[in-house]
Amino acid sequence: MASPFSGVLQLTDLDDYIGPSQECIKPVKVEKKPGKAAAKIKIEADGSYFQITQDGEAQKLEKAKITLNDCLACSGCITSAESVLITQQSHEEFYKTLAFNKTAAPNEQKLVVVSVSPQSRASLAAKCKMSILETAKKLTAFLKSQGVHYVFDTTFSRNFSLLESQKEFVKRFRKQSEDKKALPMLASACPGWICYAEKTHGSFIIPYISTTKSPQQIMGSLIKGHFAEQQHLTPNKIYHVTVMPCYDKKLEASRPDFFNQEYQTRDVDCVITTGEVLKLLEQERVSLPDVDPAPLDTISATEEELTGHSGGGSGGYLEHIYKYAAKELFGIEVDTIQYKPLKNKDFQEVTLEKDGVVLLQFALAYGFRNIQNLVQKLKRGKSPYHYVEVMACPSGCLNGGGQIKVESESSKDWLQQVEKLYESLKTETPEENWTVTALYEQWLGGPESEKARKALHTEYHAVEKASAGFNIKW
Amino acid sequence: MKEALALQSRVAAHPEARCWFLAWSPGGALLASCGGDRAVRIWGREGSGWVCRAVLSDGHQRTVRRVAWSPCGSYLASASFDATTCIWKRCEDGFECVTTLEGHENEVKSVAWAPSGSLLATCSRDKSVWVWEVDEEEEYECVSVLNSHTQDVKHVVWHPNQELLASASYDDTVKLYHEEEDDWVCCATLEGHESTVWSVAFDGSGERLASCSDDKTVRIWQCYRPGNEEGVACSGTDPTWKCVCNLSGYHTRTIYDVAWCRLTGALATACGDDAIRVFEESTSSSPQQQQQPTFSLTAHVPRAHSQDVNCVAWNPKEPGLLASCSDDGEIAFWKYQQPEGC
Repeated sequence: MASPFSGVLQLTDLDDYIGPSQECIKPVKVEKKPGKAAAKIKIEADGSYFQITQDGEAQKLEKAKITLNDCLACSGCITSAESVLITQQSHEEFYKTLAFNKTAAPNEQKLVVVSVSPQSRASLAAKCKMSILETAKKLTAFLKSQGVHYVFDTTFSRNFSLLESQKEFVKRFRKQSEDKKALPMLASACPGWICYAEKTHGSFIIPYISTTKSPQQIMGSLIKGHFAEQQHLTPNKIYHVTVMPCYDKKLEASRPDFFNQEYQTRDVDCVITTGEVLKLLEQERVSLPDVDPAPLDTISATEEELTGHSGGGSGGYLEHIYKYAAKELFGIEVDTIQYKPLKNKDFQEVTLEKDGVVLLQFALAYGFRNIQNLVQKLKRGKSPYHYVEVMACPSGCLNGGGQIKVESESSKDWLQQVEKLYESLKTETPEENWTVTALYEQWLGGPESEKARKALHTEYHAVEKASAGFNIKW
Repeated sequence: MKEALALQSRVAAHPEARCWFLAWSPGGALLASCGGDRAVRIWGREGSGWVCRAVLSDGHQRTVRRVAWSPCGSYLASASFDATTCIWKRCEDGFECVTTLEGHENEVKSVAWAPSGSLLATCSRDKSVWVWEVDEEEEYECVSVLNSHTQDVKHVVWHPNQELLASASYDDTVKLYHEEEDDWVCCATLEGHESTVWSVAFDGSGERLASCSDDKTVRIWQCYRPGNEEGVACSGTDPTWKCVCNLSGYHTRTIYDVAWCRLTGALATACGDDAIRVFEESTSSSPQQQQQPTFSLTAHVPRAHSQDVNCVAWNPKEPGLLASCSDDGEIAFWKYQQPEGC
């Protein structure tokens, strides 16, 4: 089976043929039980292990388990992560929770919230040949018929991501003379890129990466924080599922940084891909176009209907930061942005000039080859950029590994349809969204508060390469 | 038959280490060797023997697996198990490392320069093949990362006059790549070998490809373009590469390398049974035979080296001059005489 992860992750030794047994550095904790030394191990037909003492007493042995977090913290491999993901983050797991809710006592039931990414919605819309709004309404209806209580749109939480990225960039730009690693600021929304950066370029690259959380994780903070409070529930009483264009998002949701120790719950409990939603529909024998539409849920009653952000299918980070910075730092209003393709369509540059002087130089770098060149340029001190929108997938998030694939059309034509649908929505700037402005006050206690920092920012951890003893050096 | 390949000289090139690979400079005057001692050595002729002209020892932390000259002869690329590829530039008093290409996750197994000199390919145990572009300022940029193979990639080689790249892998296949729009894509997979493919070589025209394998065979693949007279099916505009000859029963162990002489058309192999063999195509004029060529063994040196032979390389200018190297650390120089009536 081909690895479902983005190309970047496939390269970082993630499923190398040197199996996990050789490079896995996870020490397995052995609970020593007092007893006589000599013992026999018996393997039952079902694969369970029993220790037989000399008295003939049998004791079932615990299986050594590797969790996804162990894999994320290790530089060895990630082969095992795939099977862990299948058990912890899958549409089956999502359905288990829904099934549990149907039979559990009322006080044990969970409130099920699904947050759908706009990229996934566009992919489904293209597949079902429907408009974005129709798709959203019908998907909401389908999910609710399965026992989901609320269906939200992560475009909403992306407002926070964009606003925080904008502010972070301006702050970094202003301190570039004293902090050599303030710039370029590198985008943080793509988990494939983050995982690659932590594993292969560790402490060198991390300072450049924006600390702003991705829309998925801000949605996580919002649902398990503000929304839970509104519902008078503790965070662990909400089961939060996201629908994402990318498998790597499962890795992101599993990061220890996004785990609430107090309530032993993740900000996002389960991530399913667009393709997995399609599987659910097929499994339930439901054709989405035939579903009666349901009204859309909103975080707050004042929200308007569906909107999007300008600047492309990967979130529009470059565009928003560029316009904000041009205004904030140089007093220049930018209306339209001229992208200049460099080596290939996935590496483009945007430059702000005044009187022949370059004020801002931004780039977008999608796909592994362009990430590679960017990192090498940075290492050689030859990167001219102030900001780079880095995404692991060629063509960005609309082309994510979790999106729906079709056989009937060329992948290029298909992607164009998805892009067209994605861009069909009216766009708004995050500053225009009054619910967001209100939430900064009501939920976070002001934009500069400690609570805002915790809810909207994160940190990264270098994974040092283990010098595996099995690796023959010659 | 043994006389067909006569030993001229032998040097202990990489003492107490394996000698992995040899590459003749485009002008044929210099031979580069690399090995387990982490060094690249440059050899030149002096009298009837060969002497070491330069040692490039400060570029790599681990074994140097392969070396390749740029078509202009001014640069040398070395691929190492330390996951890097060094670019060396010829200067007045030897060679200096001008760039280190990083990016492969682990051991780089092979490196090759395209005929234009502006593209370089590398491959690695990380299963990927990378294409790099060189600009006027000697800056190297990665233009593509190809993940078509499912296992360790052993070898990359370019077509002699087109921008067509071939790679050989532990997944038993050979893959071909070309540029499409702004990225490189795999345009053919050559299946047939039953074990690791260690090396591939194009003939001088580029119409044929030879591959050698752990399955102890050498296979010859012929290029058929769409609409070919022979009626070989092609998909779209891509040619089909069809296996037209399978040299089996000659080698007793893994064949590590195959070299196709651009001057004489002779095909040499390096084998794990310590032997070097040379094959030539039986002269044929009829077009039918062209489609089913037969190759016959014209030279066989059973104990060419005291251990595995890793590489064979024909001199590009002097017909019949063959160099070989081995796990025993030595380089041997041979003179091949085309047998009469062949």
